[in-house]
Amino acid sequence: MKKGIFASLLGGALFLVNAEAPTPEQLKILKEMGVSPADVIVEEGRDYYHNLKGTTGKTCASCHGQDGANLVGAYAKMPRYYTDIGKVADVDLRVKACLEKYVGVNAKGKKGRKYIVPLAGYVATLSNGMPINIELKHPEEKRLYEYGKELWYKRVGARDFSCAICHDVLAGKRIRLQKLGAPVRDKLYAHWPAYRISKDKLWTMEDRIRGCYKSFFLFNPEKGKFDFKENWVKKPPFYMEEIIALELYMKKAANGAKVEVPGLIR
Amino acid sequence: MKKGFLATLMISAGIIACQPAPQAAKEEHKNTFSKATTQKTSKKSSKEKEFLKALGAQDKWQKACSNPVQVAPEGVDVTKFIEEMKATIKYPADGKLVGDWKKGESLALLPKEYKALYGRKGGSKKGNCYACHCGDPRIIACGNIGPSLRGYGKKGIDPKMTYDRIYNPWAQVPCSTMFRFGYHGLLSPEEIADIVAYLHDPESPINK
Repeated sequence: MKKGIFASLLGGALFLVNAEAPTPEQLKILKEMGVSPADVIVEEGRDYYHNLKGTTGKTCASCHGQDGANLVGAYAKMPRYYTDIGKVADVDLRVKACLEKYVGVNAKGKKGRKYIVPLAGYVATLSNGMPINIELKHPEEKRLYEYGKELWYKRVGARDFSCAICHDVLAGKRIRLQKLGAPVRDKLYAHWPAYRISKDKLWTMEDRIRGCYKSFFLFNPEKGKFDFKENWVKKPPFYMEEIIALELYMKKAANGAKVEVPGLIR
Repeated sequence: MKKGFLATLMISAGIIACQPAPQAAKEEHKNTFSKATTQKTSKKSSKEKEFLKALGAQDKWQKACSNPVQVAPEGVDVTKFIEEMKATIKYPADGKLVGDWKKGESLALLPKEYKALYGRKGGSKKGNCYACHCGDPRIIACGNIGPSLRGYGKKGIDPKMTYDRIYNPWAQVPCSTMFRFGYHGLLSPEEIADIVAYLHDPESPINK
């Protein structure tokens, strides 16, 4: 018992050392206590992993082993190129492809996120404590990395935004009361997927990037200047190459940082 | 003994289950999903195309700012950059650069901020000034990306300079973080004049 308390205190102390500056105080306390609201969602993912069956009668565990035995460390190397689907996939797309191809579960659209997000969270936790290691071996990975870098700096849309203007140049400043993080400089990818307390949801990096693009006020130029009703292009569709390219760019920047998921964010 | 046999059986069953499904079964599986897949691809690709079009709508000045420094144009002449941006600025038809500060306040505040202050409907997501600036001391949730606008009207700044700054900040500071409200049509010339009044009018909460 005493040992347990000591261990959790030590764990808490280590967490404090590693904690990111933008994490609010109450979340730090939750982390110290070893309580994360995201654990429920990860558990849900574990349940899907072992029990979700589709038309093929298989589960994730049929191929990847009990308790994700064969997936330990996999997340630390994602996104990467997969020969069976012929493209670079992040954890979301990899899970989706597995569900549709091998398990036989329809995972498209928003309904599919119900399975994909908890599964992605669960798969990510299997790499906890391991250093991120994006190698860029495959030519497609190299191409997407370069594309991601280009998108990171690309100023576009009716707000003249880029990822970099907020998350490099203005990092540390506040939008209203929310501090802007620096995912590239501070290797923040190590904490994703993260539980977003204000939305009561687990967010994968896909959700984060899509949310960011909403603030760009991107618009379809064929219908004139930006208009909220007429031509606002809010978010890229899930699993689009552009999203995965940005993930690859940010995760490569986080190489060496230890995976510590699910993170906790406002 | 029996237990061992059972375990072997289970393991081998597991291995068999993980082998690639026989070709026939695979074909059948493909057919079940093919219809759904084609429908999805066509629907998704139109959304993808729309997003790519929007990403491609980058103008030449945005392109010049898309470098790792972000706040200094690259590959263009800065003087020319500023001249070209100045040329985009349009003024209200009646020539009045200072409008109605109360209207300006409603454009500057979000609907929820406006309601919190005045208990009635108003506000807009067009201006969103307080995301980056502080000003009205009653609004605490204000950003620190831009300078504080508290007492802006008392600083002796020319309202025309303020107007230009909102219509097209890049005509003064190329690649500035502040986006080009008028140039992009986020705010009309009349709306910008109202915000100028919100900043300059002695009665405005900015200067009170």
